[in-house]
Amino acid sequence: MQTRKPKAGTNKYVRDLMLNKYLYIMMIPVLAYYVIFHYAPMYGALIAFKEYSPMKGILGSEWVGFAHFKDFFGSYYFWRILKNTIVISLYSLIFEFPAPIILALLINEVRSKMFKRVAQTITYMPYFISLVVICGIITDFTNADGVINRLFMLMGYDGQAMLQKPQLFRSIYILSEIWQRIGWESIIYIAALMSIDQEQYEAARMDGATRWKQILHITLPGILPTIAIMFILRMGNLLNVGFEKIILLYNPVTYDTADVISSFVYRKGLLEFGWSYSSAVGLFNSVINLVLLISANYISRKVNKSSLW
Amino acid sequence: MKKMLASTVAVMMMGSTLIACSSQADTKPTTDTQAPAATTATTYPMKTDKTLTYWGEMNGNLTGVKTAHSEVPFFQDWQKKTGVPVKFTAPPTGQVKEALNVMLASGDLPDMIEYNFLNDFPGGPEKAIKDGYILKLNDLFDKYAPNLKKYLKEHPEVDKLIKTDNGSYYAFPFIRGDDYLQVFQGPIIRKDWLDELGLPVPETIDEWTAALRAFKEKKGAAAPLSFVSKPRFFNESYNGAFLGAFGVNRNFYLEDGAIKFGPAESGYKEYLNLFHQWYQEGLLDKNIATADNKALDGGFASGATGASIGNAGGGIGKWQPLVQGKDPKAQLVAAPYPVVKKGDTPKFGQRGSAFDSGGMVAISTKAKDPALTAKLLDYGYGDEGHMFFNFGTEGVSYKDENGYPKYTDLLLKNPDKLAPAQAISLYTRGSYNGPFVQDKRYAEQFFTLETQRSAVNIWKKTDAAKYNLPPVTPTPEESTEYAKIMSDINTLVDEMTLKIILGNEKVVQFDSYLAKMKSLKLDRAIEIQKAAYDRFNKR
Repeated sequence: MQTRKPKAGTNKYVRDLMLNKYLYIMMIPVLAYYVIFHYAPMYGALIAFKEYSPMKGILGSEWVGFAHFKDFFGSYYFWRILKNTIVISLYSLIFEFPAPIILALLINEVRSKMFKRVAQTITYMPYFISLVVICGIITDFTNADGVINRLFMLMGYDGQAMLQKPQLFRSIYILSEIWQRIGWESIIYIAALMSIDQEQYEAARMDGATRWKQILHITLPGILPTIAIMFILRMGNLLNVGFEKIILLYNPVTYDTADVISSFVYRKGLLEFGWSYSSAVGLFNSVINLVLLISANYISRKVNKSSLW
Repeated sequence: MKKMLASTVAVMMMGSTLIACSSQADTKPTTDTQAPAATTATTYPMKTDKTLTYWGEMNGNLTGVKTAHSEVPFFQDWQKKTGVPVKFTAPPTGQVKEALNVMLASGDLPDMIEYNFLNDFPGGPEKAIKDGYILKLNDLFDKYAPNLKKYLKEHPEVDKLIKTDNGSYYAFPFIRGDDYLQVFQGPIIRKDWLDELGLPVPETIDEWTAALRAFKEKKGAAAPLSFVSKPRFFNESYNGAFLGAFGVNRNFYLEDGAIKFGPAESGYKEYLNLFHQWYQEGLLDKNIATADNKALDGGFASGATGASIGNAGGGIGKWQPLVQGKDPKAQLVAAPYPVVKKGDTPKFGQRGSAFDSGGMVAISTKAKDPALTAKLLDYGYGDEGHMFFNFGTEGVSYKDENGYPKYTDLLLKNPDKLAPAQAISLYTRGSYNGPFVQDKRYAEQFFTLETQRSAVNIWKKTDAAKYNLPPVTPTPEESTEYAKIMSDINTLVDEMTLKIILGNEKVVQFDSYLAKMKSLKLDRAIEIQKAAYDRFNKR
């Protein structure tokens, strides 16, 4: 942007500011957003080290040091919720993360434009249904006399209330998650597919590559940077298992496999008024996420040459 | 419609004449500073230019009828009668706890908070006062609540219940004015099925097994016995239905001067054993862990369910029309709380205390004018307010028949096709709770069915009064520790109960759960309850 010749004598920062003033003005709202909504609230993380009482305020409350962290690590349920959080996250990384990529590839291979559009619309529809409704549907479908069980019964199996089986909870969670998000998340990959140079395919066909070979050697490498970025972003949220859905679906009998850090934080913080305890647990969660994000980014930069920063 | 319009106009005119009268009487202004320390009666409606704010949940009966307090005639009239304008806010139904939490954390408090500070505020009322959310009301009671004061003087046993060990009053309480009103929940069963099958109304556990088995085999019931399990599973069993037969309940109770925790006693194991068998045999709803109100209503309506636990009003009253919709002969009746040996008196059953912890209203520390707020809330305990809270406005919602307030057809046979429970909630608070003394005469009319009226007499035959703990209040220090312990233990008990009943774990596992409960410091929790109980006795 620095096309005009700067006047001599003035400080170079001021000069830069003068020259690009419109760009800087345009940046203000974005900066303000981050400061107000992302950095200022970090001050509230202080309460993790205090016995917070809203009436005394954050500064007025008593310091308790690491007491809440100790309570959490020493808690009877600590290992269970940590394990569940990690397991559910890993499962969704393994099963849910590739699903939209596969869908995008499949849609890309279809010739009929009409079919493409219809398939896309149908798959991303569930994303717009409210979560509460989704969970209501899941509960009804998995009931002892729900649709899914009726199908099993037709095949000669016994019907059983699936949400009462701890061993089925994760499968139900991940499968419904895929159903809900696959179409929506595939959009970004489809967009990436569009940008691949069509001439490469022509050249490959000339050389006698089958469709499968084309996918393997042109399409996949073409969207690999997108996949890598999405993967890194995902790592940063690895431990943030969506608590709303867990809370709507779990019950005491499935705590064993369903209770995760965020649902635990919800119960402690909102139902038992343990603000400080909750934010200590939340802070712990965020620190781990940060570490995961940084390492994923580092590995990706080394291996893949594409990274977030 | 014409009639309603006319009566509304009549009420408004009555109201305005009242205002005129009182404004004449109020020629010499009585300000707070001039008010003597001794209680002076307040004349309603008062004159004020302040608008007070009120936070509280909408009653469940009004779901789908009205969406805000300001649209409900009762709350409109309450403002007219007391002369104090009130602005209402309501938390989303079923999320009262979360909503209160957020409100407290924001520090932006209304003048009045309707919330169960005794049971649902972690740390209890003393902590709520100490943390600076609500006011200690002793002074305000003395100066501005003559009606309530008078009632408490006449009923020292209630006075003892509504304060903390330190003698602090913390809310304007909901009081059940008669023994008859303290029992309202128990087992409910399809009488027509029993008659058809030649079975008696079950009294013992064995008779229950036989009845449920017959329901399943001969009547094709898919879920013969079902309970609401949201927000907590087997919600209504907690008062001791079925558990009580084995001598325990789901909470702390009193036996031979010692405090015991039901799920840690051997009786609980027998209960788990029985329910596991019932579940395996298909006598218990297969979806029991996820059953909510909607599912249970559906179960009764479709004939899948033949027995449950519920209220006389919200249970029998709600389900009777549903079962009749499918089968006109259908009839639901109350069954006594089950026992193991015929002729025994059940040890536990539902029995509220005279002070019911729901519906109490506290004054927040941010109240603009605590004196005015106290005067407004005291209205419900006076003679005029008593009639208004229980029966509404004379001529509109009730008529005086030889000294007996009779609900009008507007409430009992509502022209807009509202159920009596809904219509009554529109014009009164008699059918649920609030800052007033509940009147027995409400129940006599609210229970329109003979089966509902007799239910209370069947359910009240338990020893619950002997074994139930009174409303004890741990100190703020104790209660922080207690809350921490019980949060873990309750999670454990919920899990254990469901797992064993559903067969995910064997009944013999009970003993290892017991060991875990001990390691989570159950003994300390019992100690805290005991200390609080001892202090209660010294009140």
